[in-house]
Amino acid sequence: MIGLVDANNFYVSCERVFQPELEGRPVGVMSNNDGCIIARSEELKAMGIAMATPAFKLEGLHRAGRIHLKSSNYELYGDMSGRLCQLLRDACPQVAPYSIDEMFIYLDGLDPARCQALGAWLRRRIRRHLGLPVCVGLAPTHTLAKLANHAAKKHPRYQGVCLLHADAADTAALLKQTPIDAVWGIGRRLAERLAVQRIHTAWDLRECDHHDLRRRFSVVLARTALELRGTPCLEMNALDAPRQRIMTSRSFGKPTGVKAELMEALGRHAQRSAEKLREQRSLARAVMLFLNTNRHRPEQPQYFPHAMIPLAAPSDDTRVMLVAVREGLEQIYRPGHRFMKAGVMLLDLVDAEQYQLSLLHQPPRHRHHPALMATLDDINQRMGQGKIGFGLTPEKAAWQLRCHHRSNRFTTHWGELMKAGTHPGAIKACAKRT
Amino acid sequence: MSPQPLHVATARPLTFQPLAFPALRARAGFSGFPSPAQDYEQRTLDLNTRLIKNPTQTFYLSATGDSMEGWGIFDGDLLVVDRSVRPRLGHILVALFDGEVLIKRYALHQGVPHLCSAHPLYPPLPLEGTECQLWGVVRAVIHEYVP
Repeated sequence: MIGLVDANNFYVSCERVFQPELEGRPVGVMSNNDGCIIARSEELKAMGIAMATPAFKLEGLHRAGRIHLKSSNYELYGDMSGRLCQLLRDACPQVAPYSIDEMFIYLDGLDPARCQALGAWLRRRIRRHLGLPVCVGLAPTHTLAKLANHAAKKHPRYQGVCLLHADAADTAALLKQTPIDAVWGIGRRLAERLAVQRIHTAWDLRECDHHDLRRRFSVVLARTALELRGTPCLEMNALDAPRQRIMTSRSFGKPTGVKAELMEALGRHAQRSAEKLREQRSLARAVMLFLNTNRHRPEQPQYFPHAMIPLAAPSDDTRVMLVAVREGLEQIYRPGHRFMKAGVMLLDLVDAEQYQLSLLHQPPRHRHHPALMATLDDINQRMGQGKIGFGLTPEKAAWQLRCHHRSNRFTTHWGELMKAGTHPGAIKACAKRT
Repeated sequence: MSPQPLHVATARPLTFQPLAFPALRARAGFSGFPSPAQDYEQRTLDLNTRLIKNPTQTFYLSATGDSMEGWGIFDGDLLVVDRSVRPRLGHILVALFDGEVLIKRYALHQGVPHLCSAHPLYPPLPLEGTECQLWGVVRAVIHEYVP
């Protein structure tokens, strides 16, 4: 069985852990430089406020105190994401982060009843120990686990944990209700092509002959159909759903603790990720990187650090990613550990064509060089992956993010801790004094 | 010049004492013999391992107010809060009470569980019939004399 643990409205939930007064209120988190809404609480969704609504349109509601808007606080979200991942690692044999708020767990050899029980236990534990609400989807394949998670979020009857058997009647019912573009890895354009073939739901795709799909569409689509039938045949990273996140990670041939080697690997991953980003014509708002030691060698010191670096403006420039990765490595590097694996993830993607540089945004630090990037990609495509890249990366950039509404970085800065009053009114009295 | 009073004289300052910091490790071994310092590698005490039993579930908070002084918690003290600990009577808790984040002792008052202060002005808050939510259990309080 494969499980997908996905935090509900992750950014908003992180804010609420340390600001309990936001519980039950409409809360939105804004992109870098307070541009637009990138995360919403259920209450904000219920008010009909859409994703990517420009923040200035909500200024009135915010001032009137009817909604709460927060600048993105990537340090906090990154730290909570790391804790979530670690909590899962402590309980499950194998964990793979899929994005900042989604982690796959692999439960080989556990029977379904125990998987279900473990899912419910993890959900309770994460809520109690970290204060984060999550939903768990369990199924024999990645694609079905993703759908199971979606169902767990949407239908209260599952109580946050949904287990789908490949051949059960309720799985069939669910697949028949699932529009084809809600299936993992199927974008809008592909969905339109499939609609012409009268493939409208996940069930329609499942019932297709996969040889036929392979001939007429692609290997990946044929495999997706098999996955919907319960045959695992897709790797976690085979499907980067466009406009969500992009990850490149790899294990080292030989474990290393040398900073220069780590930087080299991370740099390569950053370049590859940026390439994928440009391929799908997106821009990223933040970069996350992580390192893993070998957890199967408990006698060696263990360390699973990660860092989140927000970008001043959404970007697809390899050089910007490299600067961010270098800054991140500076933050997390500790000598004396042998790292097994390194990865770079690009987050909170936005469509390059839709994104317009507003006057409020800072001009990018590097003059934008689409031609340079295009040439780079072209050469690498023709001559082979990673043929040319950047050796020297620009020195550390001084990010100046506009973040007037950012809450405290409760877990990463000593001066910004959450306050606990010794009696009712103590915090207010203290605020008045200063 | 007055001589230092005896009762504040300590042993040699800590910095004079030879501690086996991990940084020394790299020196070992070039002669082919293991360094005698290697045996001491892991011995330096680490306050983290003493105060933080569950790093994933541990958060730091800052205490505000004077009504817990009776139990040794002063304004500005650092609270080491472990969210994985099950609360028991006698524990100091961080709780959400009436929309506020409070630090209180979980104790019996007239035989019934209450959130108690160590101050006569603040009577124990009854748990029954209120919207009280546990946030975490305070594992340790750090009071810095020389910040």
